[in-house]
Amino acid sequence: MSHEPFETHAAVYALGALDGEERAAFEEHLGGGCAACATTVREHGETLADVARGVPPMIPPAHVKADLMRRVSTTSPGRPSRRRSWIRWGVATAAAVVAVTAFVAGLVASRYEARIGFMVRETARFRADRERQEAALRDRLALSQGVIDLLQDPATRVVTLGGSGPSPAAVGRLVWHDDRGGYLLVADVPSTPAGKVYELWTISAGQPRPAGVFTVDASGRATHPVAATRSPVQVFAVTLEPEGGVPAPTGPIVLASAK
Amino acid sequence: MRGCIVDNRMAWAGEDLIRRMAEGDADACGRFYDRYARLVYPLILRIVGEPADAADILQEVFWEAWQAAARYDPARGSPEAWIVIRARTRAIDRLRAVRRRSETFVAPLDEGLAAAPPESGGDAAERAADRAVVAAMLDRLPEHQREAIELAYYGGLTQTEIAERLKQPLGTVKTRIRLGLERLREMMGPAT
Repeated sequence: MSHEPFETHAAVYALGALDGEERAAFEEHLGGGCAACATTVREHGETLADVARGVPPMIPPAHVKADLMRRVSTTSPGRPSRRRSWIRWGVATAAAVVAVTAFVAGLVASRYEARIGFMVRETARFRADRERQEAALRDRLALSQGVIDLLQDPATRVVTLGGSGPSPAAVGRLVWHDDRGGYLLVADVPSTPAGKVYELWTISAGQPRPAGVFTVDASGRATHPVAATRSPVQVFAVTLEPEGGVPAPTGPIVLASAK
Repeated sequence: MRGCIVDNRMAWAGEDLIRRMAEGDADACGRFYDRYARLVYPLILRIVGEPADAADILQEVFWEAWQAAARYDPARGSPEAWIVIRARTRAIDRLRAVRRRSETFVAPLDEGLAAAPPESGGDAAERAADRAVVAAMLDRLPEHQREAIELAYYGGLTQTEIAERLKQPLGTVKTRIRLGLERLREMMGPAT
């Protein structure tokens, strides 16, 4: 067989695109010690590294190095050095065999390690997702349970809030207990613009006091727990305010209860 | 003595760092990372498209380099080629795994090839200029050669897949790759 096809195989191989029987044949050829092909593969490898060098550098996230160094610091450095001294003491032929075997085994092992690593991370990601979903469900369940508990108390009343200003279709209910506080439930409330949140106010004797900020989900709903107040509340109102909330209302009234 | 080591830190060649890594020097591993992570991270990101995946793979690549340092042979390539080949291999393994799973073969690839990596701080204009230089370098290849090389380099396609995709005979694809790489080697040759 002429050597010519191997020149082409070497290029495609260096690019990682050689597949099927040709790949197996070329690897056998390389393993057989063809110096010309080894050189060609090496040179193309350098060229392709140059292509990578041409891509604008980018600073990777800092946690990558921190994680890497943590892993590195827990491994024993002894193993590689032992291999080196073994090679020094071995006869040349045996050393070559060992080196080739170690190289191939390392190649195979590192491929599988990487694959297992990916699977482990994938599993971890699924678990994290599931835990997030569970936590969200638990939160919702706790809110619902709180509303039900409160409704079972005869002193609890339900205050209706009507939409006004920018959101006439919005509706709200405040399940309220003068001593225990309560929950605001809203529906059909438009989602907040960037940098804005809704803020609830409890108004006693004409004096509004902040009662927490909230946002609504994609369907315009929200359940917002409200702490008890010291003085009886006459009016509940919701305004649109800058993120983080403000000590006194500044934005338009979105929902308000009747006096 | 100690001062001497400090003075030489910046000057240490990649090969020295790999040798020290092989001896179990974690500090050398950190410096090896500092030296090459910025080179391979954008490449990995360009291949896999997802910053979170790219960060995962980046760590894996350097972790493997740390473990494989004793097997590094300078005769087989420069430290740069060594780490770039590892990075491409891992990124493409990931890309292929994702494609196998999603079974959406063509669409994500097209998006991936079209998408430029997201900006992450620094001088955007300068990077845009750098990118133009690279683009110019690959653009100096005949279109057919550039296309075949990019599909393999960034898209992780094998020669058979490239042939199917471009609806060209396999032999034609192989020749384009070989001629393209030889041309790139000539273009960049004097620098290496």
